[in-house]
Amino acid sequence: MHAVSKAKNHSIARKSLRRTIFFVALILFAASTFDAYNQAQLALVLILFIGVLSVTLLTGISGQLSLGQGALMAVGGYCMALLMTNQGYTLWVAIPLALVGSALAGLLLGISAARLTGPYLAGTTLVIALAIPTLANRFMSVLKGDEGLPVDVGYPPVWFTNLFGEPSYEQWQLYVALPFAAIALFLASNILLSRTGRMWRAIRDNETAAALSGVNFSRQKIFVFVVSATFAGLSGALYGLRGLVGPSVYPVSLSLLLLTAAVLGGIRSIFGAFIGTVIVVFLPDWIDAVLHQFELSEQVSNFMPALVSSLLLILTVVINPAGVAGTHLHKHK
Amino acid sequence: MDTFLAALFSGTSRGAIYALVALGLVIVWRGAGILNYAQMGQAMFSTYIASTMITNGNSYWLAFAVAILVGAVMGVLLDILVMRPLSNKKKTELLSSQSMRAAIPVIASLGILGVLQALAGIIWAAEERGFPAPYAQEGFTVAGNVMPFTSFDVFVISVVLTTLGLTTLFFKKTGVGLAMRATALNSEVARLSGIRTNFTRSLSWAFSGAASSLAGLLITPTSNLSPNTLDLVLIIGFTAAVVGGLDSPAGAVIGGFLVGMVISFVSFYDTPEDVFLAILAVLILVLIIRPRGILGAKDARRV
Repeated sequence: MHAVSKAKNHSIARKSLRRTIFFVALILFAASTFDAYNQAQLALVLILFIGVLSVTLLTGISGQLSLGQGALMAVGGYCMALLMTNQGYTLWVAIPLALVGSALAGLLLGISAARLTGPYLAGTTLVIALAIPTLANRFMSVLKGDEGLPVDVGYPPVWFTNLFGEPSYEQWQLYVALPFAAIALFLASNILLSRTGRMWRAIRDNETAAALSGVNFSRQKIFVFVVSATFAGLSGALYGLRGLVGPSVYPVSLSLLLLTAAVLGGIRSIFGAFIGTVIVVFLPDWIDAVLHQFELSEQVSNFMPALVSSLLLILTVVINPAGVAGTHLHKHK
Repeated sequence: MDTFLAALFSGTSRGAIYALVALGLVIVWRGAGILNYAQMGQAMFSTYIASTMITNGNSYWLAFAVAILVGAVMGVLLDILVMRPLSNKKKTELLSSQSMRAAIPVIASLGILGVLQALAGIIWAAEERGFPAPYAQEGFTVAGNVMPFTSFDVFVISVVLTTLGLTTLFFKKTGVGLAMRATALNSEVARLSGIRTNFTRSLSWAFSGAASSLAGLLITPTSNLSPNTLDLVLIIGFTAAVVGGLDSPAGAVIGGFLVGMVISFVSFYDTPEDVFLAILAVLILVLIIRPRGILGAKDARRV
């Protein structure tokens, strides 16, 4: 029995590894054909992809709707920025430590919020998304208020330049985000394929039935929050590395952007999370390219991306709630 | 003492508006089982229409009436175009579980909010603009002292109280009101008893749209109008509704005034920046101590 489950775990890990390697190869290939601007956009896709995965796990897999992922991203970003500016750690040390901080925030949130149902949870997390960034002004001396804490990805180490040559700033942003995105993808894929993922889906589909089958659902719900908060914290830390960690970097609209991406792509699948992120990041560019042919005032073109993505969100929910990735892709056994 | 009075008065007139917003949320929650996050987007849109009418030379009262009518019509349209098709999709695999049935309408209403805000930005530009008040916004003078209470505040409070009274009468005394309460209680049984539940649901949306448009008209003279200004009002209204009990209209009113007082006292005695932390504290306290809210009947959480 034990041997069987061990063999199964190995095959799950191999499958996740295959997906991850394919993903990394795809990104590296795309990056080599893109210009500098699109490489920065691709780095943004990788960063937000981690955040969208946190929504996929929390909402799509375990059925708990949170509108406050931006607040958890802010927690990750601030933890990392404080460690980097005050303690002088490099980002490779500061980010893992920041993840501990966001996991703790997720634990607190899970304990207080995991018992809430549907719209109550959505509303409470929305208030949290609004209230957390104002803490920056409350603790002005440490968190520096609206100014925020400037951080960046810095320069590549010497061995890296010796091995691969000097990367441009955009490329280095991409290379910093890629390993983290790959790890996040590997872990998410493992969770979805394994027993934990089955338990979370069981909770989503029917709590009573899950409890009768031996799932300790209150503990699992809190666990989902911790895992999801860690993903969001990682995404938030990398998001801050684009230049600044401050209240204006993590607005409520960021939480809604993550949710939009998750729903557009397909809220139950990792592939959907990636497709959705690509859509929300590149949509403004695509719309610009189309609108360029018409003579439109700035007023119209400024709001076009928001209008189109919101319309897509409504259409997805009403016509094809499974998203771009469709239903057949997330029928894990 | 002066600060105390000022906080008390501002809490009352703000609280009246939050009560109205909370009432709008509660009516749709009871009537359709949906928490409508687009509600203040609708209010923002109809207030912009009123603002445009006034700048084009129409009277304030005509614009006022049209805005409320537009709010009601918009509510019905949202129900028919988005929410009703959604609730007919219950049989699909994605919507088969209770948790997703609660989550998907919330996502849809957020999409509607995004569309309304983007449209408002495209049509009216994103700059803040003022919105006129029908009465003076200067304090009454009593024995030489200017009191922190204006004739506009009196107008706001009397309009809100009249609306609340009429709503209560409508739900308690009329046949349609009874049908709406029955649908809220159990829509299957209501349908079997011959109530046209689709009609009563749309009516809830119309009521809620009208109430929130009224709230938008009453709050913008003191806060200016832009596509995003009313988002915060929605969050405060949500807290008020949870404090009072999400399924109780009377509770929504009490919650509105309570939250109005909290916000007013925090911004007068502390700084306005801490208002959201205070709201979060109130919300979490209520959810821990009394999750059903002051007058609610059903718990917000399961253990």
